Amino acid sequence: MRQSEENSGTKTAAARLVLSARARILNSILDGLGRTFLFTITSVAAAAVLFIIFYIAKDAIPFFQIRGLREFFTSTHWYPSGDPPAFGALAIIHGSVLVTLGAAVVAVPLGISAAVCLSDVLPFAVRQAVKPVIEILAAIPSVAYGFLALVVFAPMLQESGGRILAVAWYVLAVPFLFVAVVVIGDLASARIRRDKLRAAARIPILLAVGAVASLLLVVVGKALYGFTIVTGTNALNVSIVLGIMALPTVVSVAEDSLQAVGRELREGSYALGATRAETLVKTIMPAASSGILAAVLLGIMRALGETMVVWMASGNAAQIPEPWFNYFAPIRTLTATIAGDMGEADHVTGSARYHVLFAMGLLLLVFCFACNLISEWVIARQRKKLAGEA
Amino acid sequence: MKLGTRKLLDRSFSALGLFSILIMGAALLVILVPIFKRGAGAFVFKATVEHRRLLLERFERGNADALDAELEAAQLARRPVYDMLTRFEAEQAHELDALRPTLAALAAREDSIGRLVQRRLRTMDDGAFLENVETVGKLRDRLRGHVESESITADIALIDSVLQRIELRMASFVDLTERVDDLLGPAPGAATPALPRKQYGATRWDRAEVRLRELLYVEQWDYSGEGMGRKVLTPRADVFRGTQLAALFDYVETHAEAMLRPRFTFYWGFLTDEPLDIHIFGGILPELMGTLYLTLGAILFAVPIGIVAAIYFTEYARPGRIVTFLRTCVSTLAGVPSIVFGMFGLAFFLNVCHMPKGVLAGALTLSLVILPTIIRASEEAIRAVPHTYREAALGLGAGRWHTIVTVILPAALPGILTGTVISMGRAAGETAPIIFTAAASVAATLSLNPLAAWNQPTGALSWNIYNLCTEHEAVNEIRHVQFGMVAVLVTVVLLLNGFAIVFRARIAKKLKG
Repeated sequence: MRQSEENSGTKTAAARLVLSARARILNSILDGLGRTFLFTITSVAAAAVLFIIFYIAKDAIPFFQIRGLREFFTSTHWYPSGDPPAFGALAIIHGSVLVTLGAAVVAVPLGISAAVCLSDVLPFAVRQAVKPVIEILAAIPSVAYGFLALVVFAPMLQESGGRILAVAWYVLAVPFLFVAVVVIGDLASARIRRDKLRAAARIPILLAVGAVASLLLVVVGKALYGFTIVTGTNALNVSIVLGIMALPTVVSVAEDSLQAVGRELREGSYALGATRAETLVKTIMPAASSGILAAVLLGIMRALGETMVVWMASGNAAQIPEPWFNYFAPIRTLTATIAGDMGEADHVTGSARYHVLFAMGLLLLVFCFACNLISEWVIARQRKKLAGEA
Repeated sequence: MKLGTRKLLDRSFSALGLFSILIMGAALLVILVPIFKRGAGAFVFKATVEHRRLLLERFERGNADALDAELEAAQLARRPVYDMLTRFEAEQAHELDALRPTLAALAAREDSIGRLVQRRLRTMDDGAFLENVETVGKLRDRLRGHVESESITADIALIDSVLQRIELRMASFVDLTERVDDLLGPAPGAATPALPRKQYGATRWDRAEVRLRELLYVEQWDYSGEGMGRKVLTPRADVFRGTQLAALFDYVETHAEAMLRPRFTFYWGFLTDEPLDIHIFGGILPELMGTLYLTLGAILFAVPIGIVAAIYFTEYARPGRIVTFLRTCVSTLAGVPSIVFGMFGLAFFLNVCHMPKGVLAGALTLSLVILPTIIRASEEAIRAVPHTYREAALGLGAGRWHTIVTVILPAALPGILTGTVISMGRAAGETAPIIFTAAASVAATLSLNPLAAWNQPTGALSWNIYNLCTEHEAVNEIRHVQFGMVAVLVTVVLLLNGFAIVFRARIAKKLKG
C-alpha cells in the first residue's frame, strides 16, 4: 500500500517534470531567442573595437592620400598650421619612443624584482598588505599623476635637479657597487690557482676593485651634483612618472606568470642545492619568461598610450633633443599632440591637419594591437607549455 | 664561486625585491601625501574677512551683523594705510606746486616760450595731480626741444630734477596702490571693479602672505650670472624713503592680521558652491556634477552590456573560432589607448551620429573604455559561483535562463558589483576620452534632470584639473583649487577602490565558507 503510494507520488512528480510538447517547443524557441539575444549583445561589445579601428582608419587614410607616407615618417618639421603646412612627425614619434623607453627602464627592473619578491620571498601576510598598494597605484587617475609631475616634480627638478640626481645615484649605486665589488673580487681571486697565493691576494684584489668602484661612485656623484636641469618639464620627469604608472601592470602580470610556474620546478631546484636567487633566475624566470615578456609589453603599452602626464609635463616641444637620448630636454609625444591639436584642427571639413592626428592615432592603435596580440599569444603559449609539463 | 658570495648574491637578490617594493610604497606616499596635504588646504584654511564678505555677498551665507562689525574693525585698521596714500599724493602734488613760481616766471616771458608755458599752465589749473605731472613732463620736453632752450637751461634742469623724482615715485606708487588693492580689496569710496577678483582682497591668509611680500618687495631677476636668472628682492620702501609713505610698509607688515582678521575656517562650500570668476573664488560644483553624470552614464551603458556579454561567454559560448575571435576583440579593446577612445568618440558619436558635444557622447565613450573591465570582472564572478548551485537549480527543473537569472546572477552579484565599482573609479578619473566628446572648461552646472543635461557640455574634475593648471590665466593664484580638485578626485577613486577591496575580501571569505 505504502509502496504504491510512493510510486504514484514519483510518477506525478515525473509527469510534472516531463513537459508537454508545446511547452518544450516554446522553451526551445525561448532558449534560442535568448541565445541569439546574448550573442548579438556580445557581438556588439566585441565589434566596438572593430568600429574603433574602422573609424580611426577612415579618418587617417585621407591624410596619407593627401600628403603621402614619406613626410610623416621621415621629416621633423611639424608646422601643421604653417603656410605651407608641414606634417613631419618623426620628432613626435621619437618623443613617444623616448619616454616609453624611459618608462620601461624604470618599470621593468623594479616591476619584475617586485613581482619576484611578492611571489617567492615575502610571507603571505605581507603580500596581502602590498597588494592594495599596487591596486591604489593603478587606480590613481592619470591626470593626478600629470598634475603632480607638472606642479610638484617639475619645479623640484628645475630648482635642485643636480642634488636629486646625485642622491638617486648614491642610493642606487652604493648597494649595487658593493655587491659588484664582492662578486668581482671573488671571481678574480678564484682565477688564481695556488691556494696560498689566492688567500693572500684576496684582500688586495677586493681593496683594488673597491677603490675603483668608490672612485666611480664619487666622480659620477660629483658630476651629477653640479648638474643643472634647465627645465623641469622634460622627458626624464615624464619617464619616471610613466614608469611608476606602468609598475602595477608589470608587477601583477609578472607575478601571475611566476605563480603559474608551480611548486615542482622550485622544489627540484632547491633539492639540487640552488639558493633562492639561483632558483629564481635560472629556473623559474626562464619558465615564466613568456609571461614576463607579456608583462613588459603591457607595461610599455600603458606608457605609450598615456596622454595626460605627457601632455601636461613633457614640455610639448616637437623636436628631437640634442643628442637624441637627452632626457633633460622637453619633448612631445603622439598622444599629447592628438590631445593638444584636435581642438584647433577643423574637424568638420576634414583638413589634412585633422587627418594627420588620426594618422597618429592609427599608429598608436596598431602598435598597441601588436603588443596586445603578442602578449595574449605568449601568455596562452606559456599556459599550454606549463599544462603540458604538469 | 664561493659559498659566501653565493649567499651574498642570494640576499642581495631578495633585498633588490624588497627595495623595489619599498620604492613602490615610497612612490605612493610621494604621490598621495602632497595631494592630500595641499588638497586639504582647499577645505581648511585661514580665511580672512574678505572671504567672509565674499561668502555673504555672493553665496548669502554667514552672519551679516557679525560681518559688519568685523569689517568695521578691519576698516579701522586699514584707515592709516589709505590716509598715508592720500597724504603721499598730496605731498607729491605739493612738491609739483613748488615748481609753479618757476613756471610763472617762464610764463611771464614775452617770447614763444612764454606763450607755450602759459597755455600749459592754464590746463594745469583744473587738472588732477597725475595729469599735471604729465602736462609738466610734456612741457619739459617741448622746452628742451625749443630753439631758445639755452637761455633757460637752469630752469629746465630744475623742472627736470623735481619731475624725475616725482615720476619715479609715482610709477612705484601706482604699482603700490595696485598691491594694496590686491591685499585689501578696493579702497573705500572707489568705484566697484568689474572683475570679481578685483572686488575682494586676499580671501586666504596664505595668499595674503604672498601678496604682502609682493607689496613689501619688488621682485626682479638678475641675469648677470651664469645660466638661469637669480631672483632679487628689493624693498619697495627704498623708493619712498623720506616721504609720507615711509611708515606704510612697517605698518602694513605689523598690522596685516588686524586688517584682514584671518581665522581658521572649514569651507565645505568648496564641494557645493558654484565657482566665481573662473575658479578664483567659490567651489567646484559643476565639475563634481559633470564627473557624476559622466561616470553614472558610462556605468549605465556599460554594465548591462558587460553582464550580458559575460553571461554569454561563461554560460553559452562553446569553444570555437567565433568565440575566440570575440574574446580577442574584447581583450584588444582593453588595450586601446584612452586618447584613441576619445578620437573615436569624436569621429563616430559626434561626426557620424551628430550627437552634440556633451554628457551623452562622453558617457558613451567612457562606457567603451570600461566595458572590458566589466566583462572580465563579471565573467570571473560568474565563474566563481560553485557548480553545485548550478546543478541544484537545474536538478530542481529550472531552465537554463531561469537558473542564470534566479541563481547564478544573484550569487555572482557581489563580484559584479566589485568590478563595477572599480570601473566607476576608472571612468571618473579618465580625461583623454572626454576631451573631445564632453569637456568644456567653463560650463554651467548640469541640471539634476538628465533630460535637460544630456546634451550639455560640462566640466569634469579630471578635465578641469588639467585645464586649471595649464590654461588658467592665474595658475599660481589658484593652486589650492587645483590641489583641492585633485584631492577630491583621488578621494573618490580611492573610496571606490577601497570599497571594492573590502568587498572582495568579504566575498573571498564567504566562498571559503
